[in-house]
This record gives sequence, C-alpha cells and structure tokens, in this order.
Amino acid sequence: MELNELYALMEKFEKSGLSELVFKRAGDEICLKKVVTPAAVTSPAVVHVPAAHAPHEVRPPSAESTALRTPGVEVITAPLVGTFYRAAAPDAPPFVDVGDKVKKGKTLCILEAMKLMNEFQAEFDLEIVNILVENGRMVEYGAPLFEVRRA
Amino acid sequence: MIQSLLIANRGEIAVRVIRCCRQMGIRSVIAFSQADRDSLPVRMADDRVCIGPPPSRDSYLNVRNLVTAAVLSHCDAIHPGVGFLAENADFAREVRDAGLIFIGPDPQVIELLGDKIRAKHSARELDIPAIPGSEGSVEDASEAMAAADKIGYPVIVKAAAGGGGKGMRIVRSVSELGDILAVASHEAEKAFSDGTMYLEKYLENPRHVEIQIVADRKGNVVHLGERDCTVQQNHQKLVEESPSMAVDAALRMRMGNDAVRLLKTLGYSGAGTVEFLVQDGKHYFMEVNARVQVEHPVSEMVTGVDIIRQQILAAADLPLEVRQEDVHLSGYAVECRINARSAGKVTRLHVPGGYGVRMDTFLYAGYNVPPWYDHLLAKLIVTGHSRLEGIKRMEGALTELVIEGIATNIEAQKKIIAHPTFRKGNYGTGFLGEVQKEGIL
Repeated sequence: MELNELYALMEKFEKSGLSELVFKRAGDEICLKKVVTPAAVTSPAVVHVPAAHAPHEVRPPSAESTALRTPGVEVITAPLVGTFYRAAAPDAPPFVDVGDKVKKGKTLCILEAMKLMNEFQAEFDLEIVNILVENGRMVEYGAPLFEVRRA
Repeated sequence: MIQSLLIANRGEIAVRVIRCCRQMGIRSVIAFSQADRDSLPVRMADDRVCIGPPPSRDSYLNVRNLVTAAVLSHCDAIHPGVGFLAENADFAREVRDAGLIFIGPDPQVIELLGDKIRAKHSARELDIPAIPGSEGSVEDASEAMAAADKIGYPVIVKAAAGGGGKGMRIVRSVSELGDILAVASHEAEKAFSDGTMYLEKYLENPRHVEIQIVADRKGNVVHLGERDCTVQQNHQKLVEESPSMAVDAALRMRMGNDAVRLLKTLGYSGAGTVEFLVQDGKHYFMEVNARVQVEHPVSEMVTGVDIIRQQILAAADLPLEVRQEDVHLSGYAVECRINARSAGKVTRLHVPGGYGVRMDTFLYAGYNVPPWYDHLLAKLIVTGHSRLEGIKRMEGALTELVIEGIATNIEAQKKIIAHPTFRKGNYGTGFLGEVQKEGIL
C-alpha cells in the first residue's frame, strides 16, 4: 500500500463514526483504532438537583395533566413517546395555533409511534396559551406539549 | 458494530450495561420511568428518554414506548437487561420489526425456552439427563395422579410458563395432590396468564448449579463453568459462588458439554444460563434462562470474560473473543445480593473496596429508592485464591458496607456467610429454610 493511500484511509476513518477498522489487502494488514473518550460522569454526589425536581413530579398518564405554572394555565403532557406533529400533513395547516379557542374533542396534535398516527384531542373547552414543542420533534413520556387555559 | 444502544431496564444492570457501552465506544441511551428520573443510570447514560409513569406495566413493560424511544433517539440496538422484557419473544420480534438489533437470542429460541415443557423435551432428545417427570403437561388431577404414581412421591408441580417460584408446589402424598394442583394452577394463571402445569420428581435438598454460556451467531458456543446458587429463599437466590463445592472437573465437563450441545442445537446466541440440579454427583437439566443473569459477575471474576461485552458482540454479528480451550476457572468468587427491605432515601453509603472486591450498584448517597420495583440494591462480589480466602474477604466487605436510611439484608447475609453449614459447604436448597428455623435471620 502506498503511503498516500494510507493517509487517505486514516483521514476517512477519522471522520467516520467507526471506532475500529481492520483493512486487509494483498499482504497488507492495517488496523486503525480511535481512543474513545467516554462522556464525563456527572457525579451524583455533586450534581445539584433543582428544587423543582426534588419531590418526584409524577404526572398522571393522560393528556389532562394539570401541573400549574401561571394561575389558570394548565399544561398538557405527552401520554406516550413519539414524534410530535402539529398538522395532519407537512403541507396542511396546523390543528391549533396560539390564541385559538377550541372545543372539547378538537384535535390538538399527532404523536407518531411505531408508524401509527395517534391523534390527541382536547379533553375540555380550552384556549391555547403556548405551544411548547417544535413540529417534528421527538417527545418523551410526560413532556409538556401545550399550555392551555380552560374556557 | 452497534453505535447507539437503548437500555430498556433500570437499576444496577442498567449501570452495568452503560459501563460496558463506554468501554466499547457505544453511545448509551437509557429508557426510564418517572420514578427513576434521579437514578444513577439516568445520570450516567449519554442520553435519556422517559418512557412512562412509575408502574412497570406502563413504562419498563411498555413495548411501544420503548421501541419508539429507541428509533427516535437514533439507536440501532436494544439491551433488555434482566427481568422485565428480557425473555419476551414478542418484544424481541417488535424490536427486530422496527429494524433494530435485539441484544439476546432469536425470538423463536426465546419462545421455545420460555416453554419449560418444550425446553425439557429438547434436552431429552439430546440425551441430557433431566429430572424424571410427566411427559408434557398434565390436564387434570387424575392425569397428575397417574404421572405422580409413575415418578414416585414427593413430586413438585410447576407452571409451564413459570419463574420466580410462582405456581410451584411440593406434593408429598396422593391425598394432597388434587388441592395443591388446583391452587398452583390458579396462581400460575394469575401470574403468567397460563395455568398449564407439569410434574417433576422432587429431589430432597439438591444443589442448584448452573452453567454460564456465551454464544455468537457463527456457531461458537462457549461455557464459562458453573455457578452454585444453592443458597435460596423461596426460590430466590441470595448467595452465588463459583466454582461449586458439589462439582468436580469430570462433572463440570459433563455439565458444560451438555449445556453447549443443547444451546448449539437450538441455534442460541448471546449470554444464557443452563440450570441444573445436582445430587450425589449427578446433574439433572432444569431450564434455560435466555438472557444474562443477575449473578453473571461471579463467572466474570473466575474466568476474566466480560459477559455483557460478549453478548453485545454476538448481537452485532461479531465473533466471541474467547474460545473454550482458553476458559479456565481461576480461584474462587462469591456474590451476596444486597436487597432492600424498605424503600426510601439512602442517607449514607459506604462502598467496600480493596483487593478482590467488586460492587455493582445503582445506589448513591441521597438517592431515593422507589417502592415500585425489584428489591435488589447491590451485588457484592469478591474473589479469593481459595473458597476460605474468598469467604473471609466477603465477611470483611459486608462489614465495611454501610447503607443507611433504608432497611437491608446486610446483617442476614453476614449470618449466612458465617454459618458453619455454609462454611463446610455440604448443604442443599433447603439450607436457608433450616437457618430460618434457627431464628438467626
């Protein structure tokens, strides 16, 4: 193998997501390894847990969660893990926008999980105060989605 | 090779897998329930996804949320850990259908081994000695009586879908059989949604000895010797050691060969355990645990093989790093399971250390042990050149270990380790029952 070939290989390897590469050709054998620096451990002993987290904030597993922020404002959280969509299709208008007053039963968003589109409806008459997640983002269980005010 | 791995579990096994990921340069993503937000694995992992509320059926058993979390957090594999979905063939299938690697054997192999009757049948076909028992399930009391007459009392009735001692009862005479079978079947129905029962000869006070296996997808199946898990309370293991006092080189070779033959025939891959009962120098096949086990560090300490690493390599279609001829049991290792007897805040923690001491735990000072899950807090594993040296080291380590704020079984473990019967090593699975009668636990 020519040296310039080796340099090219090293450069490609450096940029790749691989941590180890074994290359064999015509009697040549080259093994490239990356030193993997593990992510720093945040030592639990010194990590400051924000006061808000200290008592376990256990939200009920439904969209009618009512963790209060400002008076009268309730937060609707994700009842499952999925991808958050504000509209039925990429070119369709969003189901709801900030300031919209919607009736109980109106679709607020879609959470896609395992290729299933799960529509989530308002469980009471409400006004959308804030939308907390960007379209197309992944949400975990219990992630705040909307701030709403009961109508 | 796997780039990103979702850990669908919690506690010390999650910590164990995260450490292995770091070593292998794999990004770790932990799936966690709301009760585990402040847990050590959630803090240690490279990334984290909340997958549900505290009850495990809505979080750690929530297949849809787990698979979605893995896909959306760009993982290419899922490690199920121990318990929860580790031996669930449907979960393994869902993981595969989503285009991900399941760290474990193929779904159909998990399915076969999960059915204890089919597993035993597979062993019989290979002439692996099994405990005499009913040929398959028993439908009703009269069928059970006929089978029990043939085997001879005492017999043990077991659930085909069983585990953890549920749906399991000892029957000493024909007069008890009908009632006990009904109760056990009902218990199995409730625990596993399957009331299918079978019968086995009940061995009085045998040893529980298991063979650790690692296997890749290229046909290499290697055994890492035995673990003796005879010290059990209500069929739950408390102390595990390797090598076993009841196993000599010849028996080790027979058991190891049988375990390897069985798993090779079944096309098994990953880490697994073949469980046997041993009595009077003879071994009897019991079942296969199609996953890594809680007590795997015991075998790691005597063989020097990182079992989780081999499991991940195998799942990634890479060959094992160990060959059978390289495996030697060196010295002795023993593990004490440290269990919680109450939930709550760990106010103080001191982890023992020094030569030959390893502690796998997810505890830290200030951590709140949630009441929702398994009671295992830590695994204390020590090594020694001999059994006596190891046991002495364990005594010292248990004395050093401090967990304050919650109730634990540390004192009970000290008494077990110090018990003259344990020291002598001539005991069976009835040992702890006897110790309890002495009133010292």
